[in-house]
Amino acid sequence: MHNMANSRRCVVTGLGLICALGENTDQCWSAAINGVTGIREVKSVDASECYANMGAEVSAPNGELSHEDYDRASLLCIKAAGEALADAGYTKNSFDDKRIGVIVGNCVGGAASIDVYYTDKKNGCEKASDILKMPAAAIANNVAMHFGLNGATANIVNACAAGTMSLAYACDLIRSGKADAFVAGGSDSFTSLAFAGFHALHALAAGPCSPFNQSNGITLGEGAGILIVESYEHAVKRGAKIYCEILGSGVSSDAHHITAPRPDGEGQMSAIKRAVKNSGLSFTDIDYINAHGTGTAKNDEAEFLSLHTLFDGNDHVSVSSTKSMTGHCLGAAGSIEAVLTVKAVCEDTLPPTIGYADEHLDTLKEKAGDIDFIANTKREKKVNYAVSNSFAFGGNNASIVFAKNEHAIPDSTNKLRIYITGIGELCGTAETEDGKGMRADITSDDYKEHGIKMAFYRKLDRFSQLQLISGMRALADANITVDETNENDIGIIIGTADGPLTEIVNFQKTVIENGTANGSAFSFPNTVYNAAGGYFSIFAGIKGYNVTVANGIQAGIQSICYAADVIHNGEESIMVATGTDENTDVTYELYEKLGYTAKDDKGFTLGEGSVSLILESEESANKRGAKKLCEIVGTSMTHKAVEFGSLIGSEDALKRAVTEACAEAGISVGDIDAVCGFANGNKALDDMEAAVYSELFANKPVIINVRNDIGEARAAAATKQVAHAAELLGEADCKYTYILAAAAGVGGSYSAVVLKKA
Amino acid sequence: MNIEIAEKIKAMLVENLRIPADELEFTSELFGDDIGLDSIDSIEIIAGIDSLFGVQMTGAAREHFQTIESLTAYVEANMGA
Repeated sequence: MHNMANSRRCVVTGLGLICALGENTDQCWSAAINGVTGIREVKSVDASECYANMGAEVSAPNGELSHEDYDRASLLCIKAAGEALADAGYTKNSFDDKRIGVIVGNCVGGAASIDVYYTDKKNGCEKASDILKMPAAAIANNVAMHFGLNGATANIVNACAAGTMSLAYACDLIRSGKADAFVAGGSDSFTSLAFAGFHALHALAAGPCSPFNQSNGITLGEGAGILIVESYEHAVKRGAKIYCEILGSGVSSDAHHITAPRPDGEGQMSAIKRAVKNSGLSFTDIDYINAHGTGTAKNDEAEFLSLHTLFDGNDHVSVSSTKSMTGHCLGAAGSIEAVLTVKAVCEDTLPPTIGYADEHLDTLKEKAGDIDFIANTKREKKVNYAVSNSFAFGGNNASIVFAKNEHAIPDSTNKLRIYITGIGELCGTAETEDGKGMRADITSDDYKEHGIKMAFYRKLDRFSQLQLISGMRALADANITVDETNENDIGIIIGTADGPLTEIVNFQKTVIENGTANGSAFSFPNTVYNAAGGYFSIFAGIKGYNVTVANGIQAGIQSICYAADVIHNGEESIMVATGTDENTDVTYELYEKLGYTAKDDKGFTLGEGSVSLILESEESANKRGAKKLCEIVGTSMTHKAVEFGSLIGSEDALKRAVTEACAEAGISVGDIDAVCGFANGNKALDDMEAAVYSELFANKPVIINVRNDIGEARAAAATKQVAHAAELLGEADCKYTYILAAAAGVGGSYSAVVLKKA
Repeated sequence: MNIEIAEKIKAMLVENLRIPADELEFTSELFGDDIGLDSIDSIEIIAGIDSLFGVQMTGAAREHFQTIESLTAYVEANMGA
């Protein structure tokens, strides 16, 4: 008989790890429990003019990681994923390739390739092939391509919390039956971008980082940690070895500052509380915490406070920061620490925080109080429950719980109807005079409309500007005021194809021109993809779930699918789901170089903007008396792995996206009255879309196109497809009952939603 | 006050810190409510002054960072020092 409890169990069946400690899990684990550091003098970045020159780099060159010509972040990830899949006993026959996907956390994307491209450009020899290595969106797609995995794919780009969030998302999708397994984790490579940025902020330690001790800065690292996260039932069915269980997770926002954590630890504690509660545990159950422990004064102070506040009644909890050995691997950090935590749970051995001299131990004793902060040497003890924490720029926090044995977790999922109750947008609608596509017109009046002062908005790069204005407009349109009564019940999912590419490129150009020691402290915080979501949460005061997904154009619909799942998981009652992408001279130049701006069969009109939707549970909408534009009755995310940069050969995934979204809506494909499609003028793509629709839809529904008005605004245009459909369905005399919106992302990612007249 | 230095500092603040030029006077309180600079911005000001004038402001007293006027005075007093 089908066991309800078993159907919600997620287990770890494979581990893969590469970082400065070693090139596989065993090597890294052995180094970690023996207190061996991976921190050395930096080799891949010129730090000669910098006050700091330490790093935790992987010695293997790209060619030894994998054979493809990908960015290093993808290659590190493929290496770790290969180990994890082999460890899990993965074979094509033991898995349905459409039910195993890839979810990767990442911070700096292809910054190493951005460095290469603009260094080459200075010498007049830049290569178009390097442009496709730039976006973070490439990473999960490249991993899926390498291993032929065709389940849902996502890149979670919430800086230093991304590697933990990716595991949380993977578990949520498995629990809701949307996949059997995920290759989940994180990856980041060592880059001049991150080094120059943290150097400019004076956040690098001059020597090796010293978490919970000297706390005088971080040491950057690189690597990838991958876990095969699998439904228990699937793992048992194929006779897999099971390492441990993954229980609940928690994601929260500080709504405080773009780089610094809240000094009172509120946001950190909120994530930990959510994770422990979602695991059906109490704080006294936890045996080990793998801390965020970066080694900056601000993090360590806030984390000491958070841990004492929550765990002081626990007489057996041990804490360590493995970043003292691995360095801070940013988007990979959470997943590297997750692998080490899984090993700790399985081996009943805890890695230490290293770097304490004898004279530091008395101070530690004072700061540690009754909590066992493990100094210098490993601890052997029984570990039933372990927590791993990750806190990021933008005030994004994530926490996740691992357990040695089966443990029933509370089922807080619901089947509440979800409505779209507000829309906010800001898109370019007219071609610029210089012929560089469509650009949004942002004036100081747009800020004044929402009381955003110059002292706040001057900090924002264009990507963040677009996001903030559309997000605030959506909240206003839905008549939502964020205050103490609802700040934890509202979350944000942002989708983007290219992220804050302009700010990243401009920062990188300065570093190429002026050296690693001369990065801009002002612009660096904006170079992380989740900065826009961070600024939005800070200004709006939103303290709930906060994730940014970088996954091509379709990320603007994927964000809606993700947001609906967050509501159905009982995490929030209101979600802001957004698509945002910018069109600046930098963006235009790169698309031009790729040949997408030409007035031919391949080209399209590049656009930009941000479109935000308010998704709200029926319960919340009724309570507020909110207007309901339409209901979201079905969502789907599919993938058919093809080379990143292309969609050719992936039409099967579009068919599945449409049929699965309709199936979830409980309707047949023939019930769809209209389709809001993704045609943009690229003939090969448009023909493929048309062919799929004509095959699927015998009833010939009306096909609606939004890109004639706003250009190819990528993720913003994808969200606009849904916004437009919602507006149509919200009209009193609308003759449609069901509208489907579908979008594609290069590499073969698709997502679709079915909307129903409310 | 040396207008030439002040104009250069203003241009640097507008360019590096995205402060709208028409809202920035030589006497505007940089760290007050209106312009709202913070500790990250002060790092950028130090780097900008160093690059423009070769004047080191690391560790300089907070009062020298208050306005373009006070920054100008500090630069004038320490140029070539």
